[in-house]
Parts: sequence; structure tokens; C-alpha cells
Amino acid sequence: MKSFFWENLRIALSELWSHKTRSILTGTGIVIGIIAVSLMSTLINGVDGLFEESMKFLGRGNLYIEKWPWFGDEDWWTLRNRPRIELDMADEIKERSEYAMVVAAERGRSANLSYKDLSAENIYIHGVTSNYPEVSTVDVEFGRFFTESEDRTGAQVVLLGSEVAKTLFPQGNPVDKMIFAGSKRFRVIGVLAEMGKFMGAFSNDTQVIIPLATFNKIFHGPWGRRSITVKVPEHLVEEAKEELRGVVRVLRGLKPEEKDNFAINQQNAFRQTYQGIKLAIGGTGMIITALSLLVGGIGIANIMFVSVKERTREIGVRKALGATRSQIQGQFLIEAMVITASGGLVGLIISTVISMAISKFLFPATMSFGVAFMAIALSAAVGLFAGLAPARKGAKLDPIEALRYE
Amino acid sequence: MSLIKVKDLYKIYQMGNTEVRALDGVSVTIEKNEYVSIMGPSGSGKSTLMNLLGCLDTPTSGEFFMDGINVATMGDDELAHIRNKKIGFVFQTFNLLPKSTSLRNVELPLIYNGEIKAHERRDMAIKALTRVNLGDRVSHKPNELSGGQRQRVAVARALVNNPAIILADEPTGNLDSKTGEEIMVLFDELHKQGNTIILVTHEEHIAAHASRVVRLLDGKIAVDEATNRGKP
Ligand SMILES: Nc1ncnc2c1ncn2[C@@H]1O[C@H](COP(=O)(O)OP(=O)(O)O)[C@@H](O)[C@H]1O
Ligand SMILES: [Mg+2]
Repeated sequence: MKSFFWENLRIALSELWSHKTRSILTGTGIVIGIIAVSLMSTLINGVDGLFEESMKFLGRGNLYIEKWPWFGDEDWWTLRNRPRIELDMADEIKERSEYAMVVAAERGRSANLSYKDLSAENIYIHGVTSNYPEVSTVDVEFGRFFTESEDRTGAQVVLLGSEVAKTLFPQGNPVDKMIFAGSKRFRVIGVLAEMGKFMGAFSNDTQVIIPLATFNKIFHGPWGRRSITVKVPEHLVEEAKEELRGVVRVLRGLKPEEKDNFAINQQNAFRQTYQGIKLAIGGTGMIITALSLLVGGIGIANIMFVSVKERTREIGVRKALGATRSQIQGQFLIEAMVITASGGLVGLIISTVISMAISKFLFPATMSFGVAFMAIALSAAVGLFAGLAPARKGAKLDPIEALRYE
Repeated sequence: MSLIKVKDLYKIYQMGNTEVRALDGVSVTIEKNEYVSIMGPSGSGKSTLMNLLGCLDTPTSGEFFMDGINVATMGDDELAHIRNKKIGFVFQTFNLLPKSTSLRNVELPLIYNGEIKAHERRDMAIKALTRVNLGDRVSHKPNELSGGQRQRVAVARALVNNPAIILADEPTGNLDSKTGEEIMVLFDELHKQGNTIILVTHEEHIAAHASRVVRLLDGKIAVDEATNRGKP
């Protein structure tokens, strides 16, 4: 049986070679379908990696008490009219909550920084409590974080994000240098380790961190982000969330019939939204793939019917010389599969190149072996299905009639 | 045991309300190494008989034994095997694969044999082409050959499998008389080398090459006799 496979492969290749244009046109649908499916899976894999990487910034056991929910469809105006988060609730929350292990508070806004004649514009100034390292992934590379007493007294000290440090201090150690934020002088006490971007977009390395009390002292006004981060045991996050809701309601003096006027955000919200987006992307990709493979498959079935008809006499000759039905059927099936598998291979090469470009310029996205294998198997399967009916038609031809065919 | 033993063979086509008796009770026995020509007017059933003898077709009724094996009741695949192993066909219109070289064309029956290795196939095909004096045309395609050469490729293809019978349906019908005669010389040689040959023709001088002539009329055997050549 093996020898027929090679023989049929040889026939298929020379047949396709002698109809080059027709073969290429026929295979195009498959090429597109395979590009769609392999690129889609590669992108989803890549975005998955990116997502998990980003989720590290939001600890699994962290609950964020904020004015705005991260996701949801609540009325914008209602949300807009919610009161600001009172950051001094943090101490009360720590006291009243059973689950809270750490309660940190933060504010943020952007400002311009300068050192001598160098400046860094639109830098995110992050005012945080001294326990902030316990609820985040910030890591001090040089120098130190500020102390509780520096926070309490509103000391004008700052830690620079790695990008900010590079901008203001292209060479040399920033520690103990004095920089300006607006008109205020700050002493650099540390540089943060590089953290990368959140969801591939928002850099965590272009921020600076100052004590919350200092922030409150310098920046007045309602703008900017305010958030209280409550760290709870990871496996009790849902229970803790309920408890925390109650605590904040009490602190805010909400009556039972009143709705929450704050949001408790968590990593899960991101996950759920992300899953939804992923499903939508994946679903769209699947539809594109299915459609182009279907259309491609129909085209191939059509061309194979034409091919069988054109080669009726050839089939007659082969049968007269002893070819069995299954040998003729195999010949045309392999021909159809060679078209689709080559289409699949071309599609795979194109999407490999595209994903290499994406890796280089956007985010890591490498084609896995599994995806490549699946793409080739899928395209061969399309060939098998598309070729079946024409191949059977050819195999069933009566040799005498086929030999008489003009 | 006779090579071919046919008894009361009928092939009836139902064409609407009329039935066409392409073969109307044919009985004939052919021995090994016979050289038989089948003659008869157009429509007398010559091709139908050849197709049945060549296992390309099955009879409506009747018995057909080849080498003692009952062929009349065989299925498609079994018939394909018989065609492949026991029969060599030569057609009026050559029926070579136009895009394949002489070598590939001659190799075809060996490919469907399924048990012969590629290099053996090649050797056997070259040997067959040499027997028909085309040893120097192995890589020519049909359109690069003359009609006579094409028919010789077809003859090489018919004998490459060492078949029990070579069947030729008007093998000279598409050739001029000189090339036709050359092909007949080739058949004479093959006969001398021990092959069994059955050929259809409507030309008496072609039929005269054989040692026996079977004349059909309206699907029946009208005459079955030795030719001058076949007379002792
Ligand atoms: N497939 C077929 N369907 C109907 N009639 C057929 C078919 N094949 C042959 N015949 C008829 O059978 C008779 C014998 O045909 P054939 O064997 O081809 O004659 P010959 O080869 O002697 O000219 C003719 O009358 C022909 O029309
Ligand atoms: Mg005829």
C-alpha cells in the first residue's frame, strides 16, 4: 500500500505542477484560513502571556477600594457623582476588618520633573503609604524605600522609576540628588527596579513614588486617582470582599436601602473581562477560519470534479491496466490533500513571519509546535473532505465508458 | 486446461423498450499460444467480446473461465487484479498517458501490481521497450513519437507484465498500412515467443497474420476456422 502512496503523491505533484495557476488559485482559500487560525492562536497565546505578566502587578489577594469600578455597565453619571474615597479610612478599615492584613492608601497625578537642565514631562507622581511595597510589586534597586515617620511627617523624598532615573540621570547615581517636581524640591532616596508595562501599554517605569502625606501637602484639589488597597488572604478573597463592603458602608454611614457609593475592585474583574474579550477574538477568528476553509474546500471539491472529468480517459486507462477503485480514489484524494496541505504550509509560513514581526514590535507571540501541527492537520483534513466526493466519482467510473470518453 | 473457455455468453443492453443483444450466445475456447483474429462487420459485437475477454466488463449471463478460474462472477477489484496480472491491452487509439514518458507509461501496469520495487519496474519497462525496438525512446512523451512508435509503446506496456493473453482491438486501425504491417510483425514475433494473442480487425490481410479467425455476425459466431497460415 505504501508504494501507492508515493506513486499517488508523484502523480499529484506533477498534475498540480502542470496546472500551476489553477493550483495556486485553488489553494488560496486554504492559505487564508490557515493564516487566520494559526495567527489567532498565536496571538491569543501571546496576549495570554502578556495578561498573566500584567496580573502580577495586581496581587491575587488585593482588593482595591475606589470610586470607579474597573469594569461594568453602571450609569456613568451616578458613578461620577459618587464621593471621593477618603484615604484616611485606611486606618479604620485595618482596625475593623478581620481579613485585612495590610491596608495601604495611594493617590496619583502627573507632573513635570527636572534635574539641572534635564526634564521629564508628564510623569505619574504616586503618593503612597509606607506599607505600599507590601501590596505591590515595586522593588527598590538602589537606595531605600521611605520610612513610616517620613510618611507621617511629609518628608520631601522621592523614589524614581527606572525610566525616570535614566532620563534625569543618564549617567551617575541619582541617590541623594535633589530634583524638582514643579516648584518643590525632593531628595532622591531610591531607584525602583524595572517592572515593564501593564497590558503592554502603561509603563510602570515612568512613575515616581513619594510619601502620601507629602503628596497631600503639595497637591490639593479633587483630581487624580485615589485608592485604598487591602491585602487579604488569597483564598478568602470573596469573603473578605463582602466583609469589606460592610465595613466601608458603615464608615460611610450608608442606610440599608442605599446603594454602594464605592467600588471594590480586584484582579478577577480583569480576568473575567479578559476572558470575554479573548472569547470574542477567538470566536471571530474561528468564524473567519471556518468560512475560508469552507469556501476553500468547496473550491477544491469543484476543481477536483473538473480534474476527474478532464482525466476520464486517463482513469479508464489506469483501470484497464489494473488500478482498483481504491487506488484511483487514493490518487485523487492525495491530489486534493496535496493542494490543501501546501496551502496550509504556505499559510503557516506567512503567519510565522507575521508573528515574528509582532514579537519584534508588539509583544511576545511565538507559534507553538501544537498550533503548527494543528494547522497542517486541519488543512489536510479539508482536502480529505473536499476530495472525497470527486475521488469516489472517479473511482466508480466504468472503465469501458471512461476509455470511450472524448 | 484451456486458457479461455467461454460458454453461452450473452451481453444484452436494454435501450428503453428495445434490447440490444451485443453478444447472443457465444461459445469459444482458446488455447495457450493461439493467435486468433476476430472479424465481423461494425456492430457485430467484436469490441464487446474483447472487453469481456479482457475482464473490463461482465456478461449478462454465461460462463467464462480463464485458466480454469470462473471470471464471470468476479467483483470489481478481483477483475482489476486479473487485468493487471493476466491481460495486456492494445487499443486502436493507443491510450497512452499524454504527459508521461514512454518509460512511465510502460511502468503503469507494474505500479498497480503493487509488489514490484521501483528499480525493478524500471528495468522491466526498459526491457519491454527494447523488445519493441524503442530502447532509445524511453524518455519521450507520446506527442514526441510517431503513431507507429506510440502503438509500439502501447505494445510494450501490454507485455511488460508477462500477461497470459495480449488483447488488441483494431491495433492498426489508426495507422497507415506500412506502420500497421510493422506492428503486425511485432505481434508475429510475440506469438513466436509463446504469447497468446487475440486481435480484432476488419482487414483480411491483418487477420491473415493469425492462425485462426472467428467471424461474428449479430453477436453470434458465424465462422470459426483456421487461416491459411494456421492450416497444417
Ligand atoms: N454501452 C452500450 N450500450 C448500449 N449498446 C451498446 C453498448 N456498447 C455496445 N452496444 C451495442 O452492442 C453492439 C455491439 O457493439 P460492439 O461490440 O462495439 O461492436 P463492434 O466492436 O463489433 O463494432 C452494437 O449494436 C452496439 O451499438
Ligand atoms: Mg469495435
